[in-house]
Amino acid sequence: MQSNLVNFIQVLRTHDIRVSPAETLDAMDVTRTLGYADRSLLRDGLAMTLAKTPEEEAVFLQCFDRYFSQSLADFAGGEAAGDGTVADEDAASPGLDAGPEGAPSPVPAPLAEAAAGDPQLQALLEAPLMQALLQNDRNTLTLAMGRAAERVGLRQIQMFTQKGQFTRRMLDELGEEHIRQAVIELEKQESPALVEMQRYRDILREQVRDYVEREYLLHAGGRNQQFMDDILSRTRLNNIEHMYLHKVHELVRKMARKLASRHARRRRTFKRGQLDMGRTLRRGIPHDGVMFTAYWKKVRREKPQILAVCDVSGSVAAYAKFLLLFLYSLQDVLPRVRSFAFSSHLGEVSDLFVQHPVEKAIELVNWKYGGATDYGSSLLDFAALALDDINSNTTVIILGDARNNNGDPKLEILRSIYQRARQVIWLNPESRRAWGTGDSEMLRYQSACHFTAECNNLKQLERIVDQLLKSTR
Amino acid sequence: MKLENFPQLASVQQIEQGFESLGYICSPKIATAVFLAFQLRKPILVEGPPGVGKTELAKTTALLLETPLIRLQCYEGLDEAKALYEWKYGKQLLYTQVLKEKLGDLLHGAKDLAESVERLHQFGDIFYSEDFLEPRPLLKAMQQERGAILLIDEVDKSDYEFESLLLEILSDYQVSIPEIGTVKARTSPMVFLTSNNTRDISDALKRRCLHLYIPFPTVELEERIVRSRVPDVDEHLRHQLVEFVHSLRQLDLRKAPAISETIDWARSLLLLHADHLDEELVRSTLNVLLKFEDDIEAAGGELRKLLRPAAGD
Repeated sequence: MQSNLVNFIQVLRTHDIRVSPAETLDAMDVTRTLGYADRSLLRDGLAMTLAKTPEEEAVFLQCFDRYFSQSLADFAGGEAAGDGTVADEDAASPGLDAGPEGAPSPVPAPLAEAAAGDPQLQALLEAPLMQALLQNDRNTLTLAMGRAAERVGLRQIQMFTQKGQFTRRMLDELGEEHIRQAVIELEKQESPALVEMQRYRDILREQVRDYVEREYLLHAGGRNQQFMDDILSRTRLNNIEHMYLHKVHELVRKMARKLASRHARRRRTFKRGQLDMGRTLRRGIPHDGVMFTAYWKKVRREKPQILAVCDVSGSVAAYAKFLLLFLYSLQDVLPRVRSFAFSSHLGEVSDLFVQHPVEKAIELVNWKYGGATDYGSSLLDFAALALDDINSNTTVIILGDARNNNGDPKLEILRSIYQRARQVIWLNPESRRAWGTGDSEMLRYQSACHFTAECNNLKQLERIVDQLLKSTR
Repeated sequence: MKLENFPQLASVQQIEQGFESLGYICSPKIATAVFLAFQLRKPILVEGPPGVGKTELAKTTALLLETPLIRLQCYEGLDEAKALYEWKYGKQLLYTQVLKEKLGDLLHGAKDLAESVERLHQFGDIFYSEDFLEPRPLLKAMQQERGAILLIDEVDKSDYEFESLLLEILSDYQVSIPEIGTVKARTSPMVFLTSNNTRDISDALKRRCLHLYIPFPTVELEERIVRSRVPDVDEHLRHQLVEFVHSLRQLDLRKAPAISETIDWARSLLLLHADHLDEELVRSTLNVLLKFEDDIEAAGGELRKLLRPAAGD
């Protein structure tokens, strides 16, 4: 059972729950203290040591149920229908199952008759595998399958295409070929026992197929998830299929959290120069009032303020959705973010983000501010709304393609922002080569930015924002 | 070393019953956490929305075990001088003044400086001994003879550095004081940390703790809680009011009403001699449940819809 627990922890790890060796030891202690008798008790206990956030706990519960309830489907039901006897057993998990009583082997009559004249068939019927099938002994069968899975390395399964292959190998390992052989023999003899034998063969196949399927979900499910996340974060945002939107949402949120926690902690710095008189005096008392050590006033740094401006016009619609998503998440995790959106005119959307869930908020923003782009008047609006708040602690992020439909770019406003703010950052979804072509004003705006970058997938976005937070520290 | 054997903590069921007799109704999960914390000598990190009884859990455990509860309230800027220990500077100063003459006697007859210093060395660091140590909550918890319940409340409010300070205490139940050395706990205390999730607790700290998340209770559990806290409310009203609070939690509110608010509300309804919920009554007492103007407005609009399932029994 100990190795079982370790395997389970392995499964948790593939599902993105980080479990350290120390926690594994704790989990062992927990199982020793609680025992295996009470399933829900054990589940709660393990959850406390292995899952350390509510989100992890949800994943944990799912995995626990899947892993520890590998009960085999009760195939006694089919048999009962055949011979008219009632065999009823509750499905239970292998570790906790008491096991069926060792009833004498109820070999169906036709099979027994056929076996009487055939020593080979007789031997097969007495083999452990066939006995387990005949007696509906799910424990033995599960154990045998577990061993077979170990030998064929089922835990390595990664893609769903491997399922067939592994099923075949498992069957070979279990010794299914003998049953197959017997079926062929019986077929040749046109024996009445054929139907029975075929039925057992099918039961076995089905069980193994189920087993492989469950293992696939356990081991490959998590890995595929990671694979998927990786792909999604590298795909250009406008190419991501609509169906993956909710996945991206999760990803963006994760990313924003990660960034926020990485940068939130370094806000306090020492400021040399101002003596903390009280503290120095107090600390001097043990030295008879001689101030050996000087203590300096700690200054809480102004938390960086971020103003984010997002273009939501038609030309960048595909990107805007993600950028808004990112803004939304950022505002969730960082304390001082104000968000603005514009196309022909500009408005603050921070409150919308606070009041509504993400999909609703994005929809509202698009509906309110969508339209044709006019950077000039939008900058004017922005200046009217926020220019007074911009100071040396402010970072302004502009997300947009700088395509102004040949209107007045009002560069002087951006320049005044540039002079006041700590940083002006422009993220453009277009590739650098397209900047300045056609109606793009990017090259001109670039002159009034501290930093410009091309940004069209999540990886780039993460890197840029990481850099940005480092420098706003 | 270990907390002495408390029969009250012998099994999960016993803990549940013990808590219930003290008026703290809990789910089996919470009892399991306390049981494990006691058996494995591990701290519990309790998380959950405000008002679900995180602090109460530590208090009740202290009551159940009849051990002292030592509480450390965390806040930004909390440092080791306030949490762990400090030297009694006044006492040190006073003693040096008083003992000055004694010192003269002691050094009387010494030939030279070297000999005087030699004589002084024989006395060791008198002024940096335990007698001059002012224990703060964390150290105090280590010093209790019969063990104690240590409650580190709202650990998420403290600074990042403070968490690192806790690590030594939580994993080995000991404190290092540079002038004295390592102070080991006489009896390792049972530690509860609570967090409201305003920021993520570091992995290092989480790894050392059992993690217990207390969500809002189920209808059935909350009815039991109200029954034990406000026994005079009649059954029909109790069911109605708990149902109503649950439907409120489904709304998108800034702060959903917690258990403590449900209890307060039940008490106020009792004072108003209400025997069933109606729209007028709920509207006028809604401010007991909801603490934000926006929330009250939002819920006020939905009131009729919310009351229908609660009333239609």
